[in-house]
Amino acid sequence: MREYWKKILTIGLLAYSSQSFALTEKLTIEDCHIDGIKQQVKCGTLQVPENYQQPNGTQININFAVIPAIDRTQNKEPLMFLAGGPGQAAAEIAATLRQGFTEVRKTRDLILVDQRGTGKSHPLQCDEVEGNSPYTSIPEELDLEDVKQCLAQLEGDLSQYNTENAIRDFDAVRAALGHEKITIYGGSYGTRAGLVYMRMFPQSLSAVVLDSVGPIEVPIGTFGQSSARSFNMLLAHCMEEESCKQAYPDLAQEFATVIERLEENPITVTITHPRLGTPTEFVISRLKFISTIRMQLYSVEMRTMVPLIIHQAFLGNFAPLAGLTAAQESSMGMYVGLLFNIVCNEDLPRISDEMWRKDADNNFGQDASHLAWKTVCPIWPQYRLGESFYQAVTADIPTLIISGDVDPVTPPSNGDYADKSLPNSKHIILKNSAHTPGPSTCAIDIIDEFLTKKDPNDLDESCLEKIPSESFMTSLNGSI
Amino acid sequence: MIQFKALLKKELKEAFRDKRALMVAMMMAIMAPIMIFAMSKMMIKEMVSTPAVYVKITGSEYAPKLIKALADDNIKLFSDVPTDDAMLWDERNIQLTIPETFAQDMMDGKRIDVYLNADFSEKSMSAPLRRIKAAINQYAQTIGYKRLLVRGIDVNLLRPVNLIEQDTSSPSSNFLMISMMLGLYLLMAAFMSGLSVAIDTSAGERERNVLEMLLCQPVSTLKIVLAKLSCASTIAFIGVLLTISLTFASIGFVDLTKIGASFSLDLSAVVIIVAMLLPICFLASALQLFFSFQAKSFKEAQSSVTMVVMIPAMLPFIMTFIDDKPKWFDWVPVTGQSLIMEDIFKGLAVDWTNLALTTLITIILTAVLVVTLAKKLTSEKVVQSLS
Repeated sequence: MREYWKKILTIGLLAYSSQSFALTEKLTIEDCHIDGIKQQVKCGTLQVPENYQQPNGTQININFAVIPAIDRTQNKEPLMFLAGGPGQAAAEIAATLRQGFTEVRKTRDLILVDQRGTGKSHPLQCDEVEGNSPYTSIPEELDLEDVKQCLAQLEGDLSQYNTENAIRDFDAVRAALGHEKITIYGGSYGTRAGLVYMRMFPQSLSAVVLDSVGPIEVPIGTFGQSSARSFNMLLAHCMEEESCKQAYPDLAQEFATVIERLEENPITVTITHPRLGTPTEFVISRLKFISTIRMQLYSVEMRTMVPLIIHQAFLGNFAPLAGLTAAQESSMGMYVGLLFNIVCNEDLPRISDEMWRKDADNNFGQDASHLAWKTVCPIWPQYRLGESFYQAVTADIPTLIISGDVDPVTPPSNGDYADKSLPNSKHIILKNSAHTPGPSTCAIDIIDEFLTKKDPNDLDESCLEKIPSESFMTSLNGSI
Repeated sequence: MIQFKALLKKELKEAFRDKRALMVAMMMAIMAPIMIFAMSKMMIKEMVSTPAVYVKITGSEYAPKLIKALADDNIKLFSDVPTDDAMLWDERNIQLTIPETFAQDMMDGKRIDVYLNADFSEKSMSAPLRRIKAAINQYAQTIGYKRLLVRGIDVNLLRPVNLIEQDTSSPSSNFLMISMMLGLYLLMAAFMSGLSVAIDTSAGERERNVLEMLLCQPVSTLKIVLAKLSCASTIAFIGVLLTISLTFASIGFVDLTKIGASFSLDLSAVVIIVAMLLPICFLASALQLFFSFQAKSFKEAQSSVTMVVMIPAMLPFIMTFIDDKPKWFDWVPVTGQSLIMEDIFKGLAVDWTNLALTTLITIILTAVLVVTLAKKLTSEKVVQSLS
């Protein structure tokens, strides 16, 4: 009996000593609040070198948040979330993730690291340009002066804000928190980061979920074909639903007509400002129309409105488009500086003229998604990663790959690339689902099961059958 | 010392001789984990599961998308009810009436009145009705937002002020219900487990004329009282230990994470709780001895002591209904310990001064009772139960 007590005491001590071990002077952790989460979570920063080749050079602080598991007694490896973009700050979307990952969070800590260049980790952000209203400005008139002004604001050695260094930061946070192994979930660009993580630190990962894959072999930036595919599926699904077909029998034709009209000249209308209620000019150009529609293709909920928006635009009513512009204005922030820094340097150089041309050969936006890259990237400061960065990843780690069938940016074919090169993976395609469907009811259960079993080929996928078909809004007042 | 040891041995022998009586006394301790286990299981089931609800919907053909939205929440048409449940749902008789004009009114943007008829006072209906209400409100709100959006209105206008709640309590997620029940049961165990032994060793012995013989011996009454007290409080303490350990063992079988809760205490917290309850066990036994010696007969002792002793045992329960707790609750025996336990369960730091004070007062009170009782036992009145 006495020995038993001694054992309990030693276990207690071990638990404490491993905790204090992690608290090096470069790491700070405290209780904090994050918008949208009522309970306190842990916030921390870890000091890392800006340039890992010069460990004693300039230091930057990597910001992270840990949402503690509901039941921590099971001691399961935590889940680190790798955000999308590039340019999304993981800790800023903590509330959304906390809700989406409830199932996982029950027994695992969620670790949210702001990738360097985003959030509170040395953000590369440009201030909003004064007087640049989203209602009057159009993408065609992208001002290079604005970009230059933005560049002038950015601090630090931009060449260090690349994907590989971001992964070094992530793994440093993992080590500093005292975890030998973690599981990761990457969404969108986060899958690219995840793949690089798998290659650089395979020993740190016990299971990987890649949701809407951006494989290393497919450069980010050519969204022409994938958007067109997603858009055409939307048109087809509308024709499959009786009420949608009845309301918009000539939807494809109407879309073409609107584009035709806008190609001649941008249209200017006077609207009531969506927020202020005052009369406001609203300029609609071809690119603005296409990019607004394209943004709606990302989510199933927003896709329900697309036929209506097209039809109303065809009738000359651009109010729905103004409403969407307002909704976008208040939506989540993207750290544009980091977005361009990574895409312009790691992906754009890999796209040949032939690839650009092929990508533009589509019936939705042609080269609409190319313009921003082609304008901004030539003046962006350059860095190059080694050729080895672009090799397919072959790490032998259990990996679950998820794709949404109607995704406009990372179509299921992207997931196939990763599935082919990874030796222990399974690719699941969710029908009638768009970009990053991971947190949806069906997928999250599969993810949770996978993280526990760590065998991608032994999962209950029965719910995949039950995903409902797309349904659309058939009038300004809704549909029945 | 030898005398005390002999006395204690005698008391313990007598207490443990009747195994069945002892078992019944320990029932309290075994009841607690069973109750906590069963109640948590039931609550979890109620909170997590969304069993199918069958509603008699009139006019379902007028609003197919609303019916689909309901079906997504497992709210189904009565016509689809399996025969086994048909009786039940027919009796529950939840009716939803969708007007014939639904489609036209939706297109015209008019308000559509949908009627929900049910017995709202019936408790078993509250969960299904809540789910029906939530599903319909959600459906309506989504359409409302989209209506504004496609008219070019920023939907944020509907929420001029957004209240962000920030909970400052420590991020411990110990399940409140279990904490509350465990706290109550621990104090109950301290008071109830030793009850029968205390009555038997006082009023019982007096009726069996054992007490008189004991008092004839050349030992001080204080030693006799102390021996009886030690024996009864040992039993009480065993009850406390059983309650706490069995509860922990049984909690392991409840998946609290299903409702976003957990229950865990570290070793130091358990040690503090157990150590804190030790003086309470002594106080409880002292009270029981005191009142059963006061009683005229064994019968009277059984009823009166149970009544008297229930009061302090119920204190923590009563306290849950008092929002503004007066300051003296912090150091009065029972309430003091109860408040400290509450802090421990919430993951707050233990207030050591309060703990020390309440423990000290508990011990003093016990000592006063013991000394008074020892004095009383020298009087013929008490021994012969004369008034």
